Amino acid sequence: METHAEPATGPTAISCHGVTKTYGVGNAAVQALRGVDLAVRTGELLMLVGPSGCGKTTLISVLAGLLHRDAGECTVLAHDYEKMDGPETTRFRKENIGFVFQSFDLIPALTAAENAAIPLLIGGAKRRPALDKTRTILKTVGFDERMMNSLPADLSGGQQQRVAIARSLVHNPKLIVCDEPTSALDSQSGRMVMELMREFARGQDRVLVVVTHDDRILEFADRIAWMEDGRIAKVENGPVRAKVPATQS
Amino acid sequence: MILIALKMLLGDRTKYVGLLFGITFTSFLVTFAASYFGGMMTRSFALIADNPGTDVWVMDPAVVAIDRPINLPTSALSRVRSVEGVRSAVPLAVAQADARFPNGHFQSFQVIGVDDATLTGVPLMKAGATADVLRASGAVIVDGGGTSGKMETPSLVSDQWPSGQPHLDVPTRPLIVGDELLIDDTRVQVAGESMALPRFPPRPLLFTTYSTAERILLPERRRLTFVLATAAPDVDARALAARIEKATHLRARSSADFKEDTVRWMIVNSEDVGDAVTMLSIAMLVGFGVTGVMMFMFTSDNLKYYAVLSAMGASTRLLLTMILAQAALCALIGTGLGLGLCAVAGRLFTMYDFPYRMMWFAPTVGGAAVVLVSVGAAAFSMRPVLKMQPASFLTGR
Repeated sequence: METHAEPATGPTAISCHGVTKTYGVGNAAVQALRGVDLAVRTGELLMLVGPSGCGKTTLISVLAGLLHRDAGECTVLAHDYEKMDGPETTRFRKENIGFVFQSFDLIPALTAAENAAIPLLIGGAKRRPALDKTRTILKTVGFDERMMNSLPADLSGGQQQRVAIARSLVHNPKLIVCDEPTSALDSQSGRMVMELMREFARGQDRVLVVVTHDDRILEFADRIAWMEDGRIAKVENGPVRAKVPATQS
Repeated sequence: MILIALKMLLGDRTKYVGLLFGITFTSFLVTFAASYFGGMMTRSFALIADNPGTDVWVMDPAVVAIDRPINLPTSALSRVRSVEGVRSAVPLAVAQADARFPNGHFQSFQVIGVDDATLTGVPLMKAGATADVLRASGAVIVDGGGTSGKMETPSLVSDQWPSGQPHLDVPTRPLIVGDELLIDDTRVQVAGESMALPRFPPRPLLFTTYSTAERILLPERRRLTFVLATAAPDVDARALAARIEKATHLRARSSADFKEDTVRWMIVNSEDVGDAVTMLSIAMLVGFGVTGVMMFMFTSDNLKYYAVLSAMGASTRLLLTMILAQAALCALIGTGLGLGLCAVAGRLFTMYDFPYRMMWFAPTVGGAAVVLVSVGAAAFSMRPVLKMQPASFLTGR
């Protein structure tokens, strides 16, 4: 069983060794991560796959700086969250990490463009330039002016997820973490979303870590990390890597 | 992000309306209570305000408010007139008397006896009449003084001054010029009706000359209540009051100071002030309850989005600023609505002669209450945001 396969691409963006995480104490303690070893390189799309409760979401939360690990080593984009204080971690997330959530989590009162512009606005950008930049990104994911000015309730699930993707890309992050990005989408929408993500990862020399249960999208992965019981059980090249020459993978 | 926060708030109509209701209610009730209090206080010194030409009020040293008079010896008038800087000084008698109406009813009046010569102290008259009507023997001027229906006389002449039993339950009409009343069995005739400022507490007023007052009131060794002094040109009223006090050992207060004394006394002693404070407290509590709960519910309902924003790098400070901005918008609009409602209610109240006066402090107190309630509600609803872990939203723990 291969437990720590590394791709032959750019420099290491994420490097974790023996990462553990336990929720609760005493009898109620649940060990979500039991020593995770993982390395992800830039330009790579890694999918985390495994049964429910195996620690996938906990792992991406640790990678995104949303959760503190209990033990082990982990550097993300050459930063160790444990050596950063709260505000530093928040600033790091603001500048370097994009999120795509399972249920999109678009703010209902904001238009698609405003929702997608949030990372820029959090970063202190002025509203007008932020919206202009966002419109450009939304166009690349197939949005027209009318859709950009629509409220999330007026958009289909696939369109909402595309807004969420635009939101995760708009501030040019180096790492994007996605939690079940296609679980609420039909097959066609799911493929479109993953093609976008794949394009982003390959073209922009960035890192994507995608948690999924959706077998239909595994074909987009560079590598697939199988998790079981809080550990990476195996890492294998995805169909994408298998199809391209090693020097490009 | 402030705009985002406001759009989030405006997007949730139900809670937004609930928040506005809470803050509008607070703003309205607090401002209204303060205005009602202002109206009561203004009416408490109505006798002073009815004498705008008086610079200094001279009284017994023990007097602390206009409604707590102690009479002076008649010599006080001459002593005040002798003080340098006094241009004129006139007597004013204030007393209570029960007047008998022609059908046999009794009604308590505040009798105000003004200087026979100058008639200083008579307010503006209705129907273009002048205070000179008092120069007739036994003439009185009547005024509702903030009451209604208390100066009624029988409509039919046959019901007036009946022999035998009084005609208490006969049809009545308001007093008019020419009607007669009995005060201590002395007949007086209504010579006019004035437009004095309403009193607090409300009471019917009866103006007459000082000499008539001496004649119709129960005999007392001292009848003089106040000496109303005017200052010579270029003499400051407050300085003149100090000079009169020094020369006569009586208490002398400028009109402005005497008003303040009266208000202060009312605040300390009047039970109505307690009622106003109770009203204020209830308004604040209900306002805080409604606003706090609505704000808390709004923030809790949006906690998921705050967690998303936090995950995307929004600092705690930014999130709290967003919540404060939402509270500030509600506070601003709610205050405006509350003040507007208060103005409308005040208009209705003054039409029915209730004590209502929106002075400068009323909207200030209302605004302060709204700030307190809004900040309190915001602080209350910040708690879940401060305790929120963005990861728990992802992991479901």
